Formats: sequence, C-alpha cells, structure tokens
Amino acid sequence: MAGAASAAAAAGVTDMADKEMKIGAALAAATCSLLGTATPGVSIAADAEPKWDVESAFLYYGESDDRVNDLSLSAHATRDFGDERTLGLDLSVDSLTGASPSGAIASGGAQTFTSPSGRETYRTPAGEIPLDDTFLDTRFALNGSWSQPLARLYTVNAGLGFSSEYDYQHIGANFGLTRDFNQRNTTLSAALAYAQDTVKPVGGIPLPLAQMTDVVDDDVSPGNRGDGSDTKNVLDVLLGVTQVLGRHSVLRVNLSYSDSSGYLTDPYKILSVVDPVTGDLIGRTPAPGASGPTGVYLHESRPDSRRKEALYAELRHDFSGKVLQVGYRYSTDDWEVDSHTVESRLRLPFGSSSYLEPHVRYYQQTAASFYRYSLANVTPLPGFASADARLSEMNALTFGLKYGHVNAGGNEWNARLELYRQTAKAPNEVLIGNQIGNAQMPDFDAVILQFGYHFKL
Amino acid sequence: MGGPCEVLAEVADETEARKITESVAACAWRVENKFSRYRSDNIVARINTAGGKPVEVDVETANLLDFAALMHRLSDGLFDITSGVLRKAWTFDGGRRLPTQSGIDALLPLVGWSKVRWVRPMIALSPGMEIDFGGIGKEYAVDQATQLAAQMSSAAVLVNFGGDLAVTRSRKENRAWRVGIESIDAGDRRAAMLVDLAAGALSTSGDTYRYVESEGRRLSHILDPRTGWPVNGAPRSVTVAAPTCTNAGMLTTLAMLRGPGAEAFLESEGVRHWVQRGT
Repeated sequence: MAGAASAAAAAGVTDMADKEMKIGAALAAATCSLLGTATPGVSIAADAEPKWDVESAFLYYGESDDRVNDLSLSAHATRDFGDERTLGLDLSVDSLTGASPSGAIASGGAQTFTSPSGRETYRTPAGEIPLDDTFLDTRFALNGSWSQPLARLYTVNAGLGFSSEYDYQHIGANFGLTRDFNQRNTTLSAALAYAQDTVKPVGGIPLPLAQMTDVVDDDVSPGNRGDGSDTKNVLDVLLGVTQVLGRHSVLRVNLSYSDSSGYLTDPYKILSVVDPVTGDLIGRTPAPGASGPTGVYLHESRPDSRRKEALYAELRHDFSGKVLQVGYRYSTDDWEVDSHTVESRLRLPFGSSSYLEPHVRYYQQTAASFYRYSLANVTPLPGFASADARLSEMNALTFGLKYGHVNAGGNEWNARLELYRQTAKAPNEVLIGNQIGNAQMPDFDAVILQFGYHFKL
Repeated sequence: MGGPCEVLAEVADETEARKITESVAACAWRVENKFSRYRSDNIVARINTAGGKPVEVDVETANLLDFAALMHRLSDGLFDITSGVLRKAWTFDGGRRLPTQSGIDALLPLVGWSKVRWVRPMIALSPGMEIDFGGIGKEYAVDQATQLAAQMSSAAVLVNFGGDLAVTRSRKENRAWRVGIESIDAGDRRAAMLVDLAAGALSTSGDTYRYVESEGRRLSHILDPRTGWPVNGAPRSVTVAAPTCTNAGMLTTLAMLRGPGAEAFLESEGVRHWVQRGT
C-alpha cells in the first residue's frame, strides 16, 4: 500500500509538472496564433546586473630613434551590485625599455658620462643628444574604487591606488561626492585625492646641482649623493559641473587645484656646464687611473613645491548617432608652466555594429622659470635648474584613429593607432653664445598601437 | 492605454522617426478604440450591451476571445475577462475605501467565463455581465505596433506602452536596449534593476500606483474572480521576459494570480523574471 501511495504521489507530482510545463508551451502557441506570427522571436533578455564588465587592452608605445618603448597590459573591471553600487578595479603591468634624454647637450666631440649608479660609464657620439640607456623598468599598478548612492541625489565614491616600480612607489587615496540637481540635468561634483610617492633612485638621491663624479668601486658611495630615498606628497582638489544641454549635448566643466610638495626633482636628469661666452661644453679629465665624465655635468635641482590650477571644459554633442567630443584645458602653475590643450574625437558608426573614431590633440606649454638649456660656468649657481625638455617650451600633436566592432555577443574589440610628435624649443634667453641658432632639442615621434577587448562576465 | 506610451527608434533621419512614431501611435489608437471598455461605439460595447442576445464578432475579436478562453482554462479560472464588473466595488486609487462583502456578493453572479456562451464567431453574455480586454489589450497593442514597426523599418525600435514593451531588434553595434524596471517604492526614481534586452519583450505588472490600503495592509489590484477579493500574497511587482509582449504579459498575470506561489510558477516555466516584494 505504501508503495502504491508513493507511486500515486509521484504520478501526481509528474502530472502537476506536466501541467505547469503545458502552460508555457500552450501560451506561446496561442500567442503566435493570436498575433499571426509563424515562429516566436527569440528573447535574449539578460540581467544587466550584477556582473563584471571588463575593458582589457594591450598597448605598444614606441618612440623614434630607439628611445622609450613601453609594452603594457591593462584591465579595467567594474562590477555592478545593483542600486547604483559599483566596484571598480584597475590592474596594469608596464614594461619600459630604451633610453631617455639625460638633459646634457650635444657636443662637437664624443662625450663620456658616469651612469646613475656611479659604477660605470657610457659614451655618446659627437653631435648626438646624450641619452641614458640604463633606462629599464617594470611597473605594476593596482587601483580599487567603490561608488554608491549616499542619499537621494547624492553619490559617493572612494578609492585606493598603489603602484610599484623598482625605484618608485606610489600610494594614493581619493574621495568624491556628486549631487544631482534640476531633475538630474545638472550634476555637481567635488573630489579630493592624496598621494604619497617614494623615490629610491639607483645610487641614491643626488645632491642638488652636485657634479657628476668619476666611477667609484662597488663598496664606496659616490660622493655626490645624499639619502637613499625621498618622498613626495600630492594633494588634488577637483570641482566639476556637468550640465545636460537639451537632448543631444552635455557640457562638463572642471576646476582643479594640485599641490605637490617634497622631492619633485628627477634624480636621473643632469645639466651640461658651458663656457659663459661661447656656450661650448667645458672639458674635464677623469682622475688618473679612473674613468669618468669628460665634461662638467651637474644633477638638476627643482623647487620642493608646485601649485597648479587647471580649467577643463568638454562638450559632447550627438549628431544623429555621430558623437563629437571637443575638450579644452588650460593649466597654470607657480613654476610658470602654462599650458593649453585642445582635443577632439568624433565617433562615426557604420554598418550595424562598427565604428571609426578619429582623434586629434594639440598641446603647448611655456617653459618653467628654472628651465636651462645648459648652465654657464659662473658663480653663484642658480638655486634651481633643470634641462629636462619636458619643462621647456614645447608642443605636441597627436593624430589617431580607432576602429571598434561589436560582435553578436555584445562584446567589443577595437584597435587604435596614434601618431605623436613632440617638439620642444629652448627659449632664446636661456641660450648662450654658439648655442643660439644651433640648440638641439630632444624632439621625437612616437607611435601608439593598442588592441582592446571589452567584454562582460 | 492608461499610461504614457513611447517609441524609441534608432534612426538618423527625422522623417523616418516621425513615420514610425505616427504609425505606432495610429496602431495604438486603433486597438484602444476597438477594444476599450470605456467607449460606447465599439465591439466591446456591442457585446456588453446586447442584453443576452448573441453578437457576431470579427476575426480579430474572435482571436482575442479564443485567447481569453484558453487563458481561463490554463489558469484554472483565475484569469477571467468577465471579472471587470468587480471594479464597481473596488477603487484602486491608493485610498482606504473597502467594499462590503454584500456588495461583492451581489456582483459575483455576473462573473465567470464559464457562464459565457462563446461559439466562434458568436458570443452571448447574460444580462449585466461584461467582458473587458484590459488584461490583454495593452500587451496585444505593443505586439501589433512592434510588428508594424519591424515591417516599416530595418532600424531598431522599442515600443513601450506604460511599462509593457517590445523591441524589433538589437541596436546598432549589437548593443542591447537597456531597460530599467521601476522600483516599487513610488518615491524612488532610480530603476530597481536594469535588463539588457536584445530581442523580445518585457511585461511588468505591479501595484506601485494601483492598490487599496486596509489596516496597514496593501491589497493588490489583482482580483480573484472566484471570491471577488484581491489575491493574497501577490508580489508587489512581477516582470517577465518573453518572445512577445502578450506572452510576457500573460505570464506576469498568471504569476500574480498565484500569490505566494508566483516565484515558484515562474521558476517552473523557466522564463526570465524579476519579482519585487515589499518588506
């Protein structure tokens, strides 16, 4: 009897299951006949949350003349936890190789330099801009952030970041708050970021404007070095407003303030000391039996604080699916580096699942007050001096084109090619004697090639 | 359609957008005019006021009546297009006015599809009975309008009649339409959840605005035609994804009618669904 009862119960369950299943099938069939459709369309409805959204990229950056090369792998992942709560994670690994300009000037004869470690020398042929080819590094960076609504119309976000390379560590934290107004057509945002960086250069921190020494043995410290490491603190404050202008345009305006303090000098950059009248390099002979520099070179020295203010405005406009983005940035700081950046992108969809996006960017800046092409051999020396071309009068032009394709699964792959040209100019007032009309700046071209894949997990 | 209607079309050309929108609007008005119970000049009014005499209906109306009959059978009598007369007792306006049991009892004899004589193409109702396509009409109109839009244009179009919606195809670059489902908290303007819809339809049934409050309890506007009272334990909101809006709408309604068993029903049907229950 017990067996029969349980069999009946099982049959009942099956009947019920059959009936439940029949509803969906019968309903689908009835709907088709009601609507006169031959076969029902397929629904690919999916939850938009919670899941991972990952933008991954492989990037190659290469400068002309065997200068800096960078191979980079990066992933930006966000996870939506619903209710506008999102977690963001950024991970990147960079491998940098190549040589970079040391700041020394080209000369009519070959030049010998002591490398940053103080343990060996390298030579630059006559007429060439000296490059320090010990440049080689791997950088690892990780950032995490969290964003969520705080109250109605308020959103808060906070993040932590960390990056490491063998001579540089960075740790930073940021916090931001946004508030929507005007039926969410206006958004005000405020953000605060604080970072502490530690510089631990090969061979130690060079003393400001100390002279490059002869090579020393492994067990001796070069005489021109101070501590092994130093720190730098950066505080950034940003205030922004985003305004929806009608159905097709969005305007964003940001004001930012940045205060850096601590060790802001580049420990690997040097200046050539020249004759105050001719502007020619002053020769030097290494000590007997020693190898070392054949000219007089001083380590650079920068102020220990920098305050920067910037204004950024960006307009996006949708021309029936073609989206134009135009941005302008003005920045000024107490090093007297004033810059203007104009940038534009145009997204052109074509076919049903592809787009092309041309990109153009122009940047120009004035020279820092302490920028020198070289240092005249006179006393007293200036308090601060740097021959880093990135602190000179400079402009840069970028042309790029991106192609993207979205596959049937909704994932996008894209490829981007950009050409970059940087041209620096030493202001006439920092040139001496023969340098006028003959100054060689370390200009270069670079190519950027990126492959990206944007997918959901 | 008793709610805001919108058409989203991914076209660059304003003329084309206008053409699609106007055709969808015309389609919506046609269904509304033909099947609304608020009009006195349509087929529904003729059936409801025939005083017991049989009325011959056109093919489209007959198809809808066949569909309603099937729904009644599949739901064991819970889905019933004759239950509209119960609205004479109930006003779901967020207020606290409850009907009396005697008032409901007086209406119950006028409710029940099994009392309807329906032999295609003839229908006859007992005097005082009424049919109401309110539970089907909106979803049916969405499907009709979406079919029309798909015939007119190769562009991606989304037709949304008061929260019941369907799409003709995925958007450019194979992107899905991102649809927000309204939160059951009327004050919360954020979407309760987001659904990426590349093809098919969504239907939502909820009580965000349509309910009666009694002794602190919120009574759903989903009525059990057998008792005349709101279904107990129904979720505050049910959304279902299905190939067509009519299909999705019937599944949300059947789920609602099952009260506490809504989730189990949708699970057993194997359809994508989102259920919100109040705390």
